[in-house]
Amino acid sequence: MEKYLNKHSSLISFLFIPVIYFWDPSWLSFFGVQPYWPLFWLLPWSMIHGSIDGLFVGLCIGLVLDSISQESSFTQIPGLILCGIWFGKLNLSSKVIIGHFRYGFICSIASFICGSIYFSQILIKNFSENSISFYLPSIRNIFAEVFITGLFAPLLCSLLFDLFKRSKGRYKIISFKKN
Amino acid sequence: MVGIRRISTNRWWHKKKNWGLFLFLLFLFFVRLSKGSLYKDLYYLISKPFWPGQFQREILTKSIEQEFFIRSKQLEKDNKRLRKILSLQRLSDSESIPATVISRKTGSWWRQIVLNKGAKDGVEVGSYVIGPGGLLGRVNSTSLFTSSVILLTSPESKVGIWVERIQSHGLLVGLGNDYPKVIFYNKDVDIDVGDFVLSSPASTLLPPNIPIGIIQSVDSELNAQKTANLLLLGKPQAIDWVQILKVKI
Repeated sequence: MEKYLNKHSSLISFLFIPVIYFWDPSWLSFFGVQPYWPLFWLLPWSMIHGSIDGLFVGLCIGLVLDSISQESSFTQIPGLILCGIWFGKLNLSSKVIIGHFRYGFICSIASFICGSIYFSQILIKNFSENSISFYLPSIRNIFAEVFITGLFAPLLCSLLFDLFKRSKGRYKIISFKKN
Repeated sequence: MVGIRRISTNRWWHKKKNWGLFLFLLFLFFVRLSKGSLYKDLYYLISKPFWPGQFQREILTKSIEQEFFIRSKQLEKDNKRLRKILSLQRLSDSESIPATVISRKTGSWWRQIVLNKGAKDGVEVGSYVIGPGGLLGRVNSTSLFTSSVILLTSPESKVGIWVERIQSHGLLVGLGNDYPKVIFYNKDVDIDVGDFVLSSPASTLLPPNIPIGIIQSVDSELNAQKTANLLLLGKPQAIDWVQILKVKI
């Protein structure tokens, strides 16, 4: 059983992304804003498997999260795809402590990118009805999310990174290498 | 002969991994098509043992002052009687479905709650949801066991409102924060801090006169519009029980 869990840990943890998205524990919030959970999974996965897999998995997570979110006019897919590609291009750091801090920094930037893309969709959709200044108070969401995502990233990304390394190669989705 | 065999064994459908990927994509397509209803039902089953119990209900009930409760009931009764005499639109108590909040997202951009009553219990898309304080939002989608409610604070939410004191209509727009804005398309409107905001009698989505909130601050005029920030009476971040009411307009 333990061997099975180790082998399939990445797939099992993927299925839990929507569950934690629903759970959304309020005691982990900063100004009422939660960390951007999918990044914690996407970062280690893409760093291990590369940009193409990152793109594909970013698309998959975006599809699932868009399906369970009620905002049908806005999508999380572009932000997650961009982050998936970017994460795949990053090198793994050999120094453990630097690696931990890097996860926090990278996740903060990625959270900012995803938040900004989502916010710009809201602005574009309502551009004809209301001015940009109308929606400015909600920019706070982006910065609160950047902070809280960066705070939790070192811990959660490191845990998932170790899990994914155990099943490395097993779930490589797209490979250009010839057999 | 050997060459042909080698080519035929390298077809993509001979690889187990590719079938796995295909099935995974099929699964994602199903999730997308069903708007995540499978996940919602799965979450319903997982979270069922952790729903708030009877003890919390008692705390909530005790927190409402008895005198205020009796008085509001009396006023409600009078209101119903008078509306019946005048043949006005009214809310129907018999159509309400009590439900528990099993998931809430009240921070960031995604503002929604998931309730433990779904299509099986007769919940319909478009029904409105009220809690202690007043209106919370509208049912946006349902699965077999759950229903998802889009809150008034969501950037997708737009609701017609009515300010009793100045007898004026407006539009309540969610911004993705805790304070939605009210837009009045008349810059001369005499809105003031402390004014009560109710659902509009002219709305085609909601029944009239459901309490929504209190004007917290008034912004300066812009483009022949007047805007104000609203403090909502219903607090979705703290409410565990709500009522789902079917639209009867």
